[in-house]
Amino acid sequence: MILLLLIYAYILIANVPGLIKRKEWKELIVFSIFYVIAFGLGIMYVLGIPVPSPMKGLQHLIVDILGIEYPQG
Amino acid sequence: MNIEKGKISGQQLLFLIAGFVHGSALLIDFTVGITEHQTWMVILAGLIITVPVILSYVVLAKRFPEMNLVQINDMVYGRFLGKVISIYYIFFFLMTLSFNIRDVGELYITFLMQDTPFIFFLIVFTATVSYAVAKGIEVLARVSHLFVVTGLFAIISTFILLIDQMDFSNFLPLFELPFIKIFQGIHIVSAIPFGETVVFLMIMGCLNNTEHAVKKTFLGLMIGVVSLLIVAIRNTAVLGGIQTIWTSTSFQSIRLINIGTVLTRMDFLIGIAQTILIFLKCSIFFYVSVTAISQLFGLKSYLPLVLPLAGIEVIVAATVFQSPVDHATITQNAGIIYSVPLIFIFPPLSLLIAKIRGLPKPERGKGT
Amino acid sequence: MIKKNSFLIIKLIICFSMCISLSGCSGAREINDLEIVIGMGVDKDKDTGDILLTAQVVKKDAAVGGAGNGGGGGGDGKSFWNVSSNGKSIFDAVRQITHKTGNRLFISHNQVVIFGNDIAEEGLQEYIDFFLRAHEMRPTTMILIAEKKASEVLDAKPETEKYPAMNIAKLVETSGFTSHFFEVNMKDFASCMMSGTTASLAPSVSIVQEKDNKDIYVAGMVVFKNGKMVGKMNHDEVRGLLWVLGKVKSGVIIVPSPNKQGKAILEIVKAKSKVKPEMKDGRIVMNISIKEESSLSEQTTTENLATDKALEKLQEASAEVIRQEIMAAFNKSRELKADIFGFGEMIHKKYHKEWKTIEDKWDEIYQTIELKIEVDSKIIKTDLLKKPVSPIKKEK
Repeated sequence: MILLLLIYAYILIANVPGLIKRKEWKELIVFSIFYVIAFGLGIMYVLGIPVPSPMKGLQHLIVDILGIEYPQG
Repeated sequence: MNIEKGKISGQQLLFLIAGFVHGSALLIDFTVGITEHQTWMVILAGLIITVPVILSYVVLAKRFPEMNLVQINDMVYGRFLGKVISIYYIFFFLMTLSFNIRDVGELYITFLMQDTPFIFFLIVFTATVSYAVAKGIEVLARVSHLFVVTGLFAIISTFILLIDQMDFSNFLPLFELPFIKIFQGIHIVSAIPFGETVVFLMIMGCLNNTEHAVKKTFLGLMIGVVSLLIVAIRNTAVLGGIQTIWTSTSFQSIRLINIGTVLTRMDFLIGIAQTILIFLKCSIFFYVSVTAISQLFGLKSYLPLVLPLAGIEVIVAATVFQSPVDHATITQNAGIIYSVPLIFIFPPLSLLIAKIRGLPKPERGKGT
Repeated sequence: MIKKNSFLIIKLIICFSMCISLSGCSGAREINDLEIVIGMGVDKDKDTGDILLTAQVVKKDAAVGGAGNGGGGGGDGKSFWNVSSNGKSIFDAVRQITHKTGNRLFISHNQVVIFGNDIAEEGLQEYIDFFLRAHEMRPTTMILIAEKKASEVLDAKPETEKYPAMNIAKLVETSGFTSHFFEVNMKDFASCMMSGTTASLAPSVSIVQEKDNKDIYVAGMVVFKNGKMVGKMNHDEVRGLLWVLGKVKSGVIIVPSPNKQGKAILEIVKAKSKVKPEMKDGRIVMNISIKEESSLSEQTTTENLATDKALEKLQEASAEVIRQEIMAAFNKSRELKADIFGFGEMIHKKYHKEWKTIEDKWDEIYQTIELKIEVDSKIIKTDLLKKPVSPIKKEK
């Protein structure tokens, strides 16, 4: 948990001042979006909340709904 | 228009591709469970099928010099559809990156260091990869020479050391398995490792000289394929009938090296070589992902995105599958199906559309 | 400028401390905390149905002290310890050994795995999974079957070796000198079990009591079918099998001398074999051709055998012996209904379309296989003597 906070604090410190100084607003916005996603996922993982897996969803889509699958075994 | 200011030479591209394909050497274990002793045939068939597709990538890149995939998509499909397709590609890059990172973790916890928590490997590995990416493509291209040589040395030496344990009658009977299994095997081999070279569409924009791109790509691909074949042949010849039961056939064959009671326990050697090569593969994927996303949003540089994406990737890699069994099942089915459009359909289609529409339109100041 | 430098120094310090603290893994185990296992034995406990696992563990003081310790130290004399435990499965028993020892077993140096007679009769399928799946086991570990109990075999202290397990391992490795049995490791055994038709073998170890000492003796090999023990083969039969497989390295062939007054003893120098399966009208014929070279190592008669004619007769006689050994092996395998030669797999590889139809009936078809044996035996040298020691007969 502490490790997580430390790492994310470092990411913030390493990137944000540079971005603000150079007035790269678009970059800052995109960076923030991804940063929030990453941080959110990290918190979920550490707290034990199950993170939804995109591949499971894709597997459902392809196998169950579209019915394309190789025969098992 | 360039995100990346660096340039790579044709020879560096060759080694990047060779190392990239070789990095998937352990991933052919997905096919071994299905195609058993006919894996080498499946690799050759996959090669024959994908060579024209890969050549279309190179021709496309040559047609749009100094432009990467996202820019090409924008030009060919128009701004909206192009962005949608690029998002599809980015999803593919990110997912495959997480599979590969997870692969390294699985390699370690199954064979080499069993008691260390899984997430450690993911964090350390991803941190190294993001450092490499932050340095830029030129650095990656320069070290690819060394990595490829190391990898080749590892597999050739293990092959030679195992020669006296090989039984070439294990390759008979030649055409035993039902065609649907061979087809699935070919599909898997075309998608991973050959199809993943679609990522190079992002990198070929950095070539400083596109003249011999076709030749160099082909050569790099050949080196990669030869490595895969050596691995497949070695495993089948040494293990024979039992190769389908092991989690990783390469590891198991290397464990059998027992020469003069001195050269034993060599499995760490393949572990090192494989880690290095998957590192190369992951660095390339990561680089491609960040540049694609930066290009999509029109950013000036991809550097700020490196670390957040690394964080996302670590968590995704840790949670996307429950176990290696899950990983194998999903990859053998859904994983290769959703990447088919990206690998086989879109690039040749882009090439066709570009030819019909006469793209890229010559701009003033630039020659044809 | 100063700020930049100090930042650099901080970074260096962080890197350095990371190198020191992060290298290594949390799975590290020090040598003091290991019980190094060099041999394992698996038996069945009749009363409870549990598995009795015996692990031969190296005693560290004896290993380190070695020969120098002469009179000092305890008078025990044993440098190993056979620790045993009960468990419901092999992995369970392995972990239960920690009830007796302070350290976990370290199996990576295990040389042999010995299965007791009762386990072999029941079938090894249930017990072999752990040895293949465990990360610490090597696939080059040898398998042997004890005639009675594995724990007894591991107890037999050898005279010239420190550890019984190493003794057994070396015993199996020198099997080439007689070719009366051969080495079977985990991987070979697993390969045979994966093939539906081939029967696997393993050397059989028994204890021979001589005065006060218990010695180990390999009496032959045990034949398994689908992991269950179905019979035993003695030395000659095993050698018959080895002729066909081309695995004979050296050995002794005893033939009567041409004048029937004594014996000639030949030492096998080299042997090669080629097996060609043939399917003719639904009948299977195996063409076996053996090429063998031997040297005359001993003779008990006074006749001079180093002449062309005598050598020819000896060659014929030795070819006959080889033929008989092969037939003995084949007949035994027919009696046990076990395809020890791997003929099934050979047919599979050559005639795979027909194999699909006959695979299920292989047991019956095996009985009808015809063997065509061709032996080419050569005597290439007579060692140091040109003529035997005997008084020169005066012409009469």
